[in-house]
Amino acid sequence: MSAAEVLLSLRDVTRRFGGVAALDGVSFDVRTHEILGVIGPNGAGKTTLLNCISGVHRLDGGEITLDGRPLGGLPPHRVARLGVGRTFQIVKPFGSMTVRENAAVGALFGSSDARLPTRRAFAHADEVLALVGLAPKRQLPVASLTVPDRKRLEVARALCTMPRLLLLDEVMAGLNAVEVDEALDMVRAVHASGVTIVLIEHVMPVILGVCERVVVLHLGRHLAEGRPVDVLKDPRVVEAYLGEKYASRHRGD
Amino acid sequence: MTEPLLEVRGLTAGFDAGPVLFGVDLDVAAGELVALVGANGAGKSTLLGVLSGLVPSSGGSVRFDGRDITNAPPEAIVAAGLVHVPQGRRLFGGMTVEKNLLLGAHLRRDRDVRGDLQRVLSHFPALADKLGREARTLSGGEQQMVAIGRGLMGRPRLLMIDEPSLGLGPKVVERVIDVAAEISEDGIAVLLVEQDVAMALDAAARAYVLESGRIALSGPADEVERDPAVRRAYLGL
Amino acid sequence: MAAQPDPDLDTGQTAAFAVATPAAARRERILLAAAAIAVVLLVLVPLTSTDQAQSAGLPQLVDRYWFRVATTMAMFVVISAAWNLIGGLAGYPAFGNVVYFGIGAYAVAVLVTRYQWSFAAALGASVVVPAAFAGLIGVPLLRLRGHYFAVASLGVAVAVGEVINNLDYFGGASGIFMPIVRSDLLFYYLMLGAALLAVAITWVVLRTRFGYGLIAIREDEGAAAVIGVNTTLYKVAAYALSAALTGLAGGIYAQWNVFVNQDVAFNIDVSIDSILMALIGGIGTIWGPVIGAVVLEFLIQTFAGRGDLAVVTQIGLGLVLTVAVIFLPRGVVDFFGGRSSLTLAYVRRTLRASGV
Repeated sequence: MSAAEVLLSLRDVTRRFGGVAALDGVSFDVRTHEILGVIGPNGAGKTTLLNCISGVHRLDGGEITLDGRPLGGLPPHRVARLGVGRTFQIVKPFGSMTVRENAAVGALFGSSDARLPTRRAFAHADEVLALVGLAPKRQLPVASLTVPDRKRLEVARALCTMPRLLLLDEVMAGLNAVEVDEALDMVRAVHASGVTIVLIEHVMPVILGVCERVVVLHLGRHLAEGRPVDVLKDPRVVEAYLGEKYASRHRGD
Repeated sequence: MTEPLLEVRGLTAGFDAGPVLFGVDLDVAAGELVALVGANGAGKSTLLGVLSGLVPSSGGSVRFDGRDITNAPPEAIVAAGLVHVPQGRRLFGGMTVEKNLLLGAHLRRDRDVRGDLQRVLSHFPALADKLGREARTLSGGEQQMVAIGRGLMGRPRLLMIDEPSLGLGPKVVERVIDVAAEISEDGIAVLLVEQDVAMALDAAARAYVLESGRIALSGPADEVERDPAVRRAYLGL
Repeated sequence: MAAQPDPDLDTGQTAAFAVATPAAARRERILLAAAAIAVVLLVLVPLTSTDQAQSAGLPQLVDRYWFRVATTMAMFVVISAAWNLIGGLAGYPAFGNVVYFGIGAYAVAVLVTRYQWSFAAALGASVVVPAAFAGLIGVPLLRLRGHYFAVASLGVAVAVGEVINNLDYFGGASGIFMPIVRSDLLFYYLMLGAALLAVAITWVVLRTRFGYGLIAIREDEGAAAVIGVNTTLYKVAAYALSAALTGLAGGIYAQWNVFVNQDVAFNIDVSIDSILMALIGGIGTIWGPVIGAVVLEFLIQTFAGRGDLAVVTQIGLGLVLTVAVIFLPRGVVDFFGGRSSLTLAYVRRTLRASGV
């Protein structure tokens, strides 16, 4: 794999809270324009991983580089400027703004490709909202949105920052099968627009449906990596995360 | 036929922005495990909120153990034996696991509280060595166990559990649903609201499907699971 | 199907960028027209008290008392609007902004009396010096949030006041006397100008990236950071801007009052009053501080009785304020912006939202 194909690189990434290592020497690569899944039990370090990449946490060891540029020590807004966008597991909309304004703020700031003047920021927001399926609701206050729509808005706002790399943290949590399908369509559309995606999930149909590769974290360590269909059969992954019932139910597939 | 433990008839409820439930009928018999499934925004959490007294109803009736508890205050509903384990765990993060569990029994004046703590721990052996830890340091699955355990400490006749699988991996979800089944085998009825429809219908005896504030389908769990509309909408098949 | 509004998410802050319905736009045009007319009147009517107007036979519509009250109102518009930038827009409730009032006042007093600067030049310093001070202490201070920030900013005000009180350079406890300038009209126009400037700055800020960034910081600082807002820079800038405007009010006040000392210039009541004004009028909005300053100052002037009556009227005023803050947490502007009307349902909703 040539260097030009790797967008984000993690080497020996370690992050501790008190004495406990939430991440312990994690290494893997994210290839340009892929959709990479990250799975693992709660407490495995998945959200901590996203927080380290986006600059919310400092690293206690190791290195993260984006397109060769080290991200260590940069504050979150600088990481955003370099083209990393992210969503939060518990969505964080700007409560007193409308849907459109929330998205537009992403375009007003964001990566160096974004930072648009006001009028163009709102125009870009309109396009992105159409992409995620929120166009008819764009003038509504966020307080009136359903949970799935708030997750879409979270994605739209991150997309408006014009990222090269988009980190999605459990965007599918709490959605039923139909809503997951709609969200998957949205993820595919986002991917088609040229963004590399890293996706934390517990909802297995998502991993199987859209990820080209998946990384498994367990207790802060890298456990397995590969194509979803292979990883989900790995006995170590079944033992640590999936459970026998799930594995046997899907063995037929 | 004896009256069911929980009998809901024609329940309507809503908020300032509009009505959410439009005449819901639902029964849970003693010791039964009943599943309630439906899309986001269908009103499942609102229904549990009305049953536990957190949300006022605008019409219909709720009878529990032969008594009318429609719009009764939440403490009275818990004292009657109807306990709600809310969505998202909602533990007291800075308190220890033990305190969280004991708080579930705070309405009780009898002396069996310690005994009950042991019984709860027998359902969740993994918590036995974590009693002194702060609740927020536990993993998501362990927190869900504490939340259910806290509910059990109230000596409920019926335990309503709201989306225990949220944010948990498949293996942990399996364990949590198994616990719900164990509880109902102990004689405590369980009303299980779930997004993981497959798991919920596997464990339940009967099921209700809530759509846009109305019961769209109800019946024995395996029949509901075989229903083609359910399979399309919720089982992704 | 729309879900019910989420009380956790509805922060109760009136949106700075209200939904752009045609009705709202028309209302805004009417309000702007009314405001323009009011400003014209405010500028022209006081001219009837000049000698020229008097000798031309025009009726004197305003007297010295009117000038005093109007100038005070204008001053509080400046201080309250300035507070609104850091407290209302950015969501950092500074309780010690009066420190910048004091620094601005003393800057004018010292430069004019010791260094023979002109009043005009000294006013420039009354803007720049507080802003620089705020820029410096803002960086560590704004790392604190909520109550901690409020108390720390109050501590700064008290500390600076004490330091100045104890240094002979600043006249110590006896303060500084300025050369007397008698002109109701001059100070009225200066304060009015400062008030218009403060409102105009708020209006501009709310239309630019800066304003959106501040509101994003207020609503969710973590989310603001990851979408690329340089939160430290923006917070400190808002803080420095609010300090500059507050300093200007202090500088004008120093010459108007002719006398400055710690009690006059670093009076915590000024901070409290200005916050109440912004709250009652409508926190985070353009017109909230204006309405709040005018209404509250009017109430204070009307109800500030003498002797025994003073205590009774003070209590009455306190009760009015308590009721207003509890029942109208979004301020008066919430009604006139058309988003809500004063009905029982509204009061019930806001009571529930504020946890009463």
